[in-house]
Amino acid sequence: MPPRFGTLDSTAWGKWASTIDGYKTEELTLKGANILELHIEIDDDPADALIPKTMHPAIPAYSIFNVISYPDSPWGAFAIAELRVAGRTGVRPRGFVLASICNNEEAGKAFAGRWGYPIRRGDVKLELRHDRVVGRASLDDRPVLECELLDRDAISGGDIQYIASMHLARNKDDGKLVVVQVDPEFTFSKGERGKPRVALLDTDAFHCASSLRLANPISASFAVADVSLPKIRYICNPDLPAMQGTTKVAA
Amino acid sequence: MKFGLFYEISVPRPWGRETEKTVYDNCLEQVALADSLGFDSVWAVEHHFLEEYSHCPAPELFLTACAMRTKKMRVGHGIVVCVPEFNHPIKIAERTAVLDILSGGRLEVGTGRSATWTELGGFRANPDETKKTWDEFVHCLPKMWTQERFSYQGRSWSMPTRTIVPKPYQKPHPPMWVAVTSPGTEIDAAERGMGSLGLTFGGFAEQEEKVKRYRKIIRNCDPVGEFVNESVSTVNFLYCHEDDAEGVKVGKHLTGVLNYLAAQLLAAREAYPTKSYPSLGLLPSLRRDAAGPGDESGAPEGIAIGNPARITRELKKWEAVGVDRVNFLLNSLETVPQESVLASLRLFAKEVMPHFQGSSDAAAAAAGGH
Repeated sequence: MPPRFGTLDSTAWGKWASTIDGYKTEELTLKGANILELHIEIDDDPADALIPKTMHPAIPAYSIFNVISYPDSPWGAFAIAELRVAGRTGVRPRGFVLASICNNEEAGKAFAGRWGYPIRRGDVKLELRHDRVVGRASLDDRPVLECELLDRDAISGGDIQYIASMHLARNKDDGKLVVVQVDPEFTFSKGERGKPRVALLDTDAFHCASSLRLANPISASFAVADVSLPKIRYICNPDLPAMQGTTKVAA
Repeated sequence: MKFGLFYEISVPRPWGRETEKTVYDNCLEQVALADSLGFDSVWAVEHHFLEEYSHCPAPELFLTACAMRTKKMRVGHGIVVCVPEFNHPIKIAERTAVLDILSGGRLEVGTGRSATWTELGGFRANPDETKKTWDEFVHCLPKMWTQERFSYQGRSWSMPTRTIVPKPYQKPHPPMWVAVTSPGTEIDAAERGMGSLGLTFGGFAEQEEKVKRYRKIIRNCDPVGEFVNESVSTVNFLYCHEDDAEGVKVGKHLTGVLNYLAAQLLAAREAYPTKSYPSLGLLPSLRRDAAGPGDESGAPEGIAIGNPARITRELKKWEAVGVDRVNFLLNSLETVPQESVLASLRLFAKEVMPHFQGSSDAAAAAAGGH
């Protein structure tokens, strides 16, 4: 088996984790989400420290930037920005979320409590222009992220593949740290592709100061989709390989 | 039905120079034995940067070594990457011609375009372009092999008039194949009169449909070469053991290790949204099907692991759906000790090959003892 595993210090990283209210989350569908996603290769070796042992690094390592605007939800309109490091849980592609920023207090609480998103309150905007799609995030009025899709080019939504997320979260019941797998389903109504550009990244804001070094840009996509956030099906022990440390919590 | 070997050449960490050499030496020893046992062909991939999964970036060199150690086996590119950032078409024409000469006319030329961002990104190749460049390359290669003087003005490459030498030993030229991973590529193969070099397992029903479609379309093809190579091959794992449970157990471990490694790589489609890669390609299919449901023994359907009777039964099913040739992966990360791999080959040749038409030489060879 591949000897390269993530080397994240889960105990230390636990200070950024949200508290999850158990694993009995019900599915939720959010209609008409506007999704900006960038893929950028990152330097391999330092990035291993940004994913837990339950994951293998992707070959090559790459980061995923998301800025997603939800026009409607039980908590009103809101937007989320997040940065993930891609890897594999066993044989499945997954992205470990370093940090999420949400501009809606109630939505943020729900995402943290029900799916373990490591949410902080901030300002998040997704701007659609004819030549680009721009995602921005700030914390305490300090810009921490600006990323873009340049040269918008229509493609089929069927050509887009988004991978599931892994959140390090603390279980409310026993206080233990777990990695929660969240694998949304997407029903696409629009797809675009373009060149990715990260104009601004405050790595401290995403807790990855010296470990995340952007390298080779890969692609950017923009999609309009209905997003179904699922029941939580699997949780993992962050400090064990997925083959040994995965627990099924729902069918 | 004919049987061949298929090499990814996977190498476990740590990558000391002796580790790499041992793996290559083991492969060459397997090939030499397989030749004496009556296996028909040996194929080698072209992969780059696929750490542990495949350390085979220069298949023409490995295949040359194979040709020097064998008398009858055909040597096949499975495949040569037809993307200009990877290989210039003139160099492909030249290298393959030399290999055909050195092997005494035993070369098969599989063609393809890579399916991982790990490789495409490494060469800064555009995933949107690979199908188009592959098409240009396969139309040019036969002319470069057969025309005394050749010139070309195309979309992805061009050259003024030159004499490309040497020409292949086989006349008019070596058989050409297409790697079939994405759905519909078997149609590309058929329309161009090329062999279908299956690199995914797929189920029997899926394969039967593909074969039917391929054979129907190739009847009216416009061949890129000077002849039609109507052939369907597929890839499989092989671990043959007298004890069925042991064969299944070791074989499942072997398939599991390779599939696990494959999953760590970055498929083009995962990284770069494009219609050029409608499926995830070789790797996820390997994983899905080889780990799929099986019978009470736990052996996945269609995989050639277990005792000779089980393997014969599974291969008969492939034969029944129209597959002409099965190419076997024998090892991964040296999971199976070399002596066991060699014993598996011997047992297969002795007990399984005689059940298949076209493998009669094998039975005789195996009966001679090795």
